[in-house]
Amino acid sequence: MLRILLLGLFFLSCNLNSFAQSISAGTRFQKSIGFYWENGISVEISDSSILKGRLIFGCHYVSSRFGTAINSNAIKQDQIFASLGYKWRSNKIFQPITKVNIGYFKADYEIEIFDVLPNSSLLISPELGIKINYPKKLSYKLSLGYNIINGNGIKNPGTLYPVFYQNTILWNF
Amino acid sequence: MEFLKKGIYLVLFCNFFLGCSDPEISDTTLDGELIFDPSIYDPATYLVSKSKPSPKSYELDKPVFIACHGYSASTFEWDEFKTWANGDTSYFISQVLLGGHGRSYEDFKNATWKDWLIPIKTEYEGLISAGYTNINFVGSSTSCALITELISEGYFMGKLPPNNFFYIDPIVIPSNKTLSLVGVVGPMLGYAEVDNNKDEDLYWYHFRPQETLQELNKLIILVRKNLEAGIELPKESKMKVYKSIKDGSADPVSAVLLYKGVKTSGNQKIEVEMVNSKLHVFTRLALRGNLSNLDILNQLKCFTELISKSK
Repeated sequence: MLRILLLGLFFLSCNLNSFAQSISAGTRFQKSIGFYWENGISVEISDSSILKGRLIFGCHYVSSRFGTAINSNAIKQDQIFASLGYKWRSNKIFQPITKVNIGYFKADYEIEIFDVLPNSSLLISPELGIKINYPKKLSYKLSLGYNIINGNGIKNPGTLYPVFYQNTILWNF
Repeated sequence: MEFLKKGIYLVLFCNFFLGCSDPEISDTTLDGELIFDPSIYDPATYLVSKSKPSPKSYELDKPVFIACHGYSASTFEWDEFKTWANGDTSYFISQVLLGGHGRSYEDFKNATWKDWLIPIKTEYEGLISAGYTNINFVGSSTSCALITELISEGYFMGKLPPNNFFYIDPIVIPSNKTLSLVGVVGPMLGYAEVDNNKDEDLYWYHFRPQETLQELNKLIILVRKNLEAGIELPKESKMKVYKSIKDGSADPVSAVLLYKGVKTSGNQKIEVEMVNSKLHVFTRLALRGNLSNLDILNQLKCFTELISKSK
């Protein structure tokens, strides 16, 4: 799953100029409620030939390595996911965010004794929020998401919490 | 239809802003006004500081275990350790009742996690005053979080350091992640009901007030953050964590956080054993159905090791 997503991201980045009409990239700051900060990067692409540019495809990578686990004993965990969103209120400053994320989660427990515990999972999460397009080249996104698969430590990783919020600052190319 | 709609809104409004009313409590459960933890009436049977406040000189270096139970439980959780000891006089067991526990639902509801902690400190200080020199903590579930908080805040500095900290199914991360949302969901629900069997209802609360769930959430978040920053054990103290690998209450990953977050004073890692069990607090088998031979072996192995490590 991780390989497919990385390959997809690589393919898209290599072919951005050939089909993308609107590209934005930036940093994503994500916090699970009651748990870690996991930060990383986001790339979003839309094309005017698909639903008049209203369909937004995104690739995101966040990790506690760039959040709570910096200089701490927190568990290092990574999330890589693709998103599919619909753009409402085109060309307006305030736009609602409605999207679905699908991806892969993996936690690193570091030593063998913990190999008996689940440490990876599929990620599926709807996300709702607001996007502010101001000034022209910048966008700010604030949203709330829910991991449909979340961890109870028996079948799924115990560090995958259900509710998260995120804010992303994007530069529109 | 309109009337019904208004009614639903009214109920939601009342639930959200005023909170739900208390549950209907039966006097046949620990929540009621009749059944209290027996250590309240008879502390000398449960606490070594009360039963042996003036130990003989040959008793001073015998291991004393301060056995502390988990959230919403009572001293019953460690009864089997004492039963298993079967009168062995080479060590002593103190069964501490956490603050706010073992009394009525209202008492439980009004206690904070700092109140839960007080009797643990009182017993420890009582044993030191009596002259005991080999004190060992054995905690289950939430009491492990409470003891970790004591270590983290430097409570043991300048005091006789405990010989060992033994943790049985400690909680740092809950298995049920809804607890992380208790600040929002809790006031709407008022309380949570637990699926205890009839006998368990005598020793565990049947209803968990949302206020206490909020306290539990506060405590484990604090402990997790302290573990992230790093916690050093008192000089000469050791720690061993025993963790069920399929625990429906305290997420097994709690053991990872303790392993990464706690070091001995000599900067050594602590000991962790992942136990092949589906039970939360695998050392308590009484009143459980469908026990396997492995469950019995796990308990026996753990009790035996607690004694051998403390001597």
